[in-house]
Amino acid sequence: MRKRWKKNFRVLRELMRIRFQGLMMFQLGFFGPFFVDGSLFVVQLMVFRIVYSNVERIGSWGEGEMILFIGTFSLINAVGMVVYFFGIRQLPEKIKKGELDLYLTKPVSPLLRLTFEKINPGSIPLVFMSLCIIGYGVSKMGITPGAGKVLAYLGWVIMMTLLHYDMMVLIRCVCFYLVTNARMEQLEDAALELCMKLPGIAFYGIWRVIFCFFLPYGIMATLPVQSMSGEMGIRLALQGAAVTAVFTILTVLVWKGGVRHYNSASS
Amino acid sequence: MKIKPWSGYRKYAEAAYLNLKAQLAWRADVIFNMLFTISKILFAFLLWGIIFQQKEVVAGFTFHGMLSYYIISSFLSQLEMSGGISEEIFWRIRNGTFTNYVVLPINTEGYFIAMEAGVVLFYLAFDFLAAVIWIFLFRIRFVFTGEPLILICAVVMVLLGLLFMVELNYYLGILTLKYQEISTFLMIKNNLISLVTGTIVPLALFPEGIVRLMRYLPFYYVTYLPSMLLTGRCRQEALSGILILAGWCAFLQVVITVTWNSYRRKYDGVGI
Repeated sequence: MRKRWKKNFRVLRELMRIRFQGLMMFQLGFFGPFFVDGSLFVVQLMVFRIVYSNVERIGSWGEGEMILFIGTFSLINAVGMVVYFFGIRQLPEKIKKGELDLYLTKPVSPLLRLTFEKINPGSIPLVFMSLCIIGYGVSKMGITPGAGKVLAYLGWVIMMTLLHYDMMVLIRCVCFYLVTNARMEQLEDAALELCMKLPGIAFYGIWRVIFCFFLPYGIMATLPVQSMSGEMGIRLALQGAAVTAVFTILTVLVWKGGVRHYNSASS
Repeated sequence: MKIKPWSGYRKYAEAAYLNLKAQLAWRADVIFNMLFTISKILFAFLLWGIIFQQKEVVAGFTFHGMLSYYIISSFLSQLEMSGGISEEIFWRIRNGTFTNYVVLPINTEGYFIAMEAGVVLFYLAFDFLAAVIWIFLFRIRFVFTGEPLILICAVVMVLLGLLFMVELNYYLGILTLKYQEISTFLMIKNNLISLVTGTIVPLALFPEGIVRLMRYLPFYYVTYLPSMLLTGRCRQEALSGILILAGWCAFLQVVITVTWNSYRRKYDGVGI
């Protein structure tokens, strides 16, 4: 086991070195993802500043909770952009062109390589920007969180980042079985766009079922905020953990099934 | 010799018709584009639903007035599909295939305007159908103006707004001739446009000083003001809005002509 970890670590180190070399070839686009996603979340902050200048609360959330929500979504997105977004995004193309062969024949997990081969250090400033938004949100909430709350919040952010990763992989694994996953990606974009603007507390009825259980983007930034604000009960925590566990298991199963189903260029 | 005054426009009409027909090849795209308009309405329905539980009126909007605004602004923003023009020009210049447009016996900008017209005409009925479905699905008591003159002003403003956006995206596209890498800027522009055109939240919610400033900018008149006019508000701004937007269209046309004339020699047709 230790040997395997050591080998994986060496592979990751090498992938990062190659990636840095590649990025230096196109220096102009290095910070592109930071500026694009940064502007998106700045727009979000402005939108809710404007909304809160007209209303005091949205449901049970004041402006502080909403800023923390935006910062948390931005952080999950930023970690994804730095680590796995650009790698996993190319999975459908690799399957269609049969380029996954090159991954399957290497002595390292193909998913591990795909996940880390396109790390994007240009998005690291987005992580710092998100931390600033989070800090501002917490101060606006008027609370001084203890170590327990901070740890719980961090734990939820890690779990929700894993859920975000699961969703990305799952949606792209459709290509193992169908010619295209374009519609699924369209659905992903629409759901993400909606849920990064709208916290999970706004969903009810059928919409809650859809966006908290089937396309669980609705809980991704909401649960960490609820853990920080003290709104989270044991039931909510168990639901969140269960959704993450189910989607992680599903991702592993679908990935393994997909790889077995993969027929090189003809798939 | 018999002079045919409209003969010069026939090729543009043909380009529009070809692009209209080309949309038929992507039937699934049409259906899914139509279905995904629900995300904008759902956002408004859930966000404003929870807000209006505590307040009856926000910035002069009732709940149903607000949703009517979102239905119309979502319909108009769906029609505005010119973002693809700047991306098309950017990639064509980057890979050297912009020549395909340059060699056409037709004005390049005119071709893109005709192309946009064809696409808009095709999507018009589908987007309208989607809007009607969402009105019934979300049980919205739809608010719509009853004044024919305001309706005409709104339609003229929408057309000018579409023209302005085509011009803007064409202008940004041809900047690739000089700056080569503008894709990041184009994506940032898309994020900002949704805010300043009032498709995320109505501009009426912004502080008064900012709204006053935005009245001098064209984006105020692209989606926001037509939506407000069609929901029976801001009548007094209808005529001035048309004049300001027409002025911006003319100004941008001059900028495009100057930019095209000075940068077109930089295009060598071999890509970057």
